[in-house]
Order: sequence, then structure tokens, then C-alpha cells
Amino acid sequence: MAKIGRIKIRVPHSITKGEVIPVQVLVTHPMETGQRKDKKTKELIPAYYINGVDVYYGDSLITHCDWTIAVSANPFMTFYVKAEKAAPLKIVYKDIKGGVYEKTVQISPQ
Amino acid sequence: MHKLITRILILLSVSFGMLSIIGIQYSFAADGSTPVIKEYKQSVSAEEYEKRYNAVYGKSTEQMAEEGNPADFLLEDGRDLYNKVEGSAGKSCADCHGKNGEKLKGVAATYPKYDPAIKGINTVALQINRCREDNMGAEPLKYESDDQLSLTLYVKSLSNGDPINVRIDGPARPFYEAGEAYYYKRFGQFNFSCALCHVKYAGHMMRANLLSNNRHHADHWPSYRLKWGATGSIQRRFRGCNKNVRQKPEPYQSETYRNLELYLTYQANGLPINVPGFKM
Amino acid sequence: MERKDKDLVLSRRAFLKTGGATCAVFLLAGSLPSLVKPAFGAPKKESIKDVLKKQFGDKPMSMSHVDIKAPIIAENGAVVPIRVVSDLPMRDDDYVKKIYIYAEGNLQPYVAGINLTPANGKADFSLRIKMRKTANVRAVLETSKGKLYEASRSVKVTIGGCGG
Repeated sequence: MAKIGRIKIRVPHSITKGEVIPVQVLVTHPMETGQRKDKKTKELIPAYYINGVDVYYGDSLITHCDWTIAVSANPFMTFYVKAEKAAPLKIVYKDIKGGVYEKTVQISPQ
Repeated sequence: MHKLITRILILLSVSFGMLSIIGIQYSFAADGSTPVIKEYKQSVSAEEYEKRYNAVYGKSTEQMAEEGNPADFLLEDGRDLYNKVEGSAGKSCADCHGKNGEKLKGVAATYPKYDPAIKGINTVALQINRCREDNMGAEPLKYESDDQLSLTLYVKSLSNGDPINVRIDGPARPFYEAGEAYYYKRFGQFNFSCALCHVKYAGHMMRANLLSNNRHHADHWPSYRLKWGATGSIQRRFRGCNKNVRQKPEPYQSETYRNLELYLTYQANGLPINVPGFKM
Repeated sequence: MERKDKDLVLSRRAFLKTGGATCAVFLLAGSLPSLVKPAFGAPKKESIKDVLKKQFGDKPMSMSHVDIKAPIIAENGAVVPIRVVSDLPMRDDDYVKKIYIYAEGNLQPYVAGINLTPANGKADFSLRIKMRKTANVRAVLETSKGKLYEASRSVKVTIGGCGG
């Protein structure tokens, strides 16, 4: 997984208005703890992890996560959203080196 | 006196138990020249192993696999790479094998198989590189690199759901037997063989690990492994296993590993191919 | 002759000692590569009590309305799937404001904090976390009214000897 910050979002195919839907998100990221050694050079690999996740539904920030090094590599999370309006759901990951990765899906309840 | 007798009895039973564990399982052919493998008996069937697996670990890995497999990203890359023109011949994989891999559907289910051109066993990964060199005039992909894994993944995924159907008759037979011999051969500082763990003691616990039955060992590669935090091929797994028993691992696509891959894939004959896998 | 035997015994013992140590290091390094302590000034282990006290003071916590779903035995300590579920309401005037997740055995027990809003519909969050060793996973829920709810569950983390 050489490329960092690829995001995959999964939402149900058909959504009825007002339904609470699960949103599953996978992102590729090494989530280095800063406590691990390079096997060859015997030097510590500097910490490199996602420390903030923002979820926007339409314009409003609905969920914000603080993460630490203890979240697994290639983080996966599931959260719920009440699908009340047709709006884009945007997920933004920020890592400690300033990387920002985002992806949007359209939620269109019937 | 009584104590002494009990002690001796305990000692005897323990040492007897140890002996039966480390006891050498080879016997020799009548003429005394070539060692013949005496197959271990499976103490636990594949079905029973599944039951025990579920009792110990539950469905957490399975569930994680359903939720999202990071190897899916590689699979997408593989599709792009398949259609990408590379090399001096100005061709892409798609030029010969059809758009969306039509002509490769179900092909991976017959791999690894005997190939007269290399007088040995051909694997999907090896075939891709041979194709690139011979037909496309492109550089071979480095084994276990992202590109190589993604292309292998894509080609194998075209056979997803097809039952594995490798042949071990005819010219492939000696290679299958070589693979089998390797599987039952003891090596490394720990003096383990593959079969010791995965046939004889499969389904039993080795400390905190449940030793897996070899039925499903070859049907899901390349797989994403939690332990690696990355995707890898079955041969990377072989190397890991070798290192675990303190045996010097072989290079990728060496003859030994290709034979072993044939042997293991034959054990999974009839099972559907399911890539990318997701393993602990 | 006798001398030789003695030497042999000694060297074997020495070998076993160093070999054992190397093995232990190997196992540790191999099993949880991402969580091996650094060689210089290893970070101090924070106790869960201190962390909770620092975060919540002496506020009372109720052991109800929260459920943690986690495997009994984790196959791999670096990836333990955790799900925190609560039946607390998510109304505009009363909702779960934040979910705190702790892995008590880790050097820094605080794993993640999730700020929720009523737009989430329900307080239900899954995450895969790293666990250094067998320990409790604890979740603390804070509602918008300032009430605290908690739950904890023990997860066995095995040293994966297999699979290099």
C-alpha cells in the first residue's frame, strides 16, 4: 500500500428518508507509532499518523474524531448518519505531517 | 519409595510424550536408498478445524474482511495496469487477452501448472513476468512490489468463484511429488516440517495459536494480512514460515516454492478462488 | 575428558541463555512490531486511573447504557475490532457528545475520542485499534448534559507466533 490516503466509503444502496444508515470508511495510512524500528537501519521510524477526522454532511460538521497512534494501520471505521436530506457526505482525514485526504459520497434518500 | 516411583512414572510418560512429538516420521524404502515419506495422519478434519477456529477466534476476521479489504485498492490498480501500454512492443495486457480480461476468465484456476517451456511449474506471478518480457518487451515486475501484486491480483480475480482445478498428472507429477516431499521434510533449527503443524497438529493449539488446516491455504492469495499490514503473495507467506522455523528462506519464484505452491493449491482443489483474501 | 564435558555443558548453558533472550526479543519484535518500545528512554506507562482522573475529575460514572463489542481473543494485537454501542437518545437537547475509547494496557491508554452530534442518529462507532497486551478496553460516553457512562471488556491479545 504504497499510496497513502486512498479512501473507500460504503453506504447502503437504497436509503429511505430519516433512516439511520451505517457509513463504513477505509483509508490507507501506515499509522506509524514512532516506536518501531527500521529492520535494516535499526533507526526509529518517525511517528506518522492520522490525528483528526472530520465528517461533513452538507455544510455541517457532524462528527469529529481525535485519533492517536493506537488506531490500527489502514484505519477502518463505521459510524452512523441520519439521512434526512440529499446532500454530500464528505470525510476529511488529517495527518500529523499536514497531509489532508478527503472523499465525498452523495447521500440521496428516497 | 512411593514418591520415587511416581516421579519415575511421570518422567517416563513425559519423555514418551516428547518422543512421540519429535519422533522422526521417515521410513526407508526397501533398498535403503531413497527416503519415503510416511504421511502424517490428520488428527482433526477440516470441518472440525473450522469449528474450533470459530470457537477460539469467532468471526472477527471474517467480518473485517467483509467490511473493507485494503487489498481492494491494489485490485483497482491492477485493472489500470492491465490496460496500460508498456514495453518496446507497444502492447498492453488487454491487447492480447481482451478488454476486461475476457480471455483470462477462469484461467488462474488451473495455475500453477506444468509449462514445457520452462520445464517446470509455472505460477501466475511468473507467467505475468514472462509475458511482459517475451511478448511486451517490458521490464519484469519486481516480486512483491505493489505493481506486481496488483496485476496478479487482477488476473486472479478474473477467476473469482471458479473452482480451483490444478492438474498433477502427466509431466506435472514429479514436481507435485517434489512439493510434497518438501512439505513433509523437516528443516530449520527447530526441525519442523510444514506437515507437522498443518497436517498432524492442525486444529490443535500451539501456545496461543490455533494451527490451521491446509485445506484453505492456497485459495485466497494474494491476501491482505493483518500481521504484515500489507498485501502479499503466498510465497511471502512461505518465506515467513521458513523464518519461523529458523530455516533460510528461498528467493521468490524459486523452483522449490513453485513446487510447494502446486502441492498446496492441489490441496485446495475444488474450492472457489477468492481473492483478495483477508487473513490475520 | 571430564574437562571437555564441563565446557560443553557451560557453553550450552551460555548458548541457551543468549538464545533464549534473542528468542524473546524476536517474539516481541515479531508479534507487535509497531508497539515495541524504543531503545532510548522508553515512554512511561500512563495508568488508566490517572488518565481518567485527568479527563473527568471525580465525576461519577454509571456502568450502564454502553456496550462494547470486541473479540474475546484477538488474533492480532495490532488490529482489534472494537464497537461501542449505546442506547442513549440522540435528541437535539440530549445526546451523546463524545465517545472516549481506552486500551488500558497501552503505554498511552487513550486511543480515540469521537465527537458526535444529533445528526448521527445513534451512538454507535466501530474502530480497529492496536493493543499492546491482554487488557481491558474501556469506553466512556459523555452526554451533552454532562453525564458519564462507561463500560469495559477484557480482550485477550495473543502473541502470534506464526506467520513471519
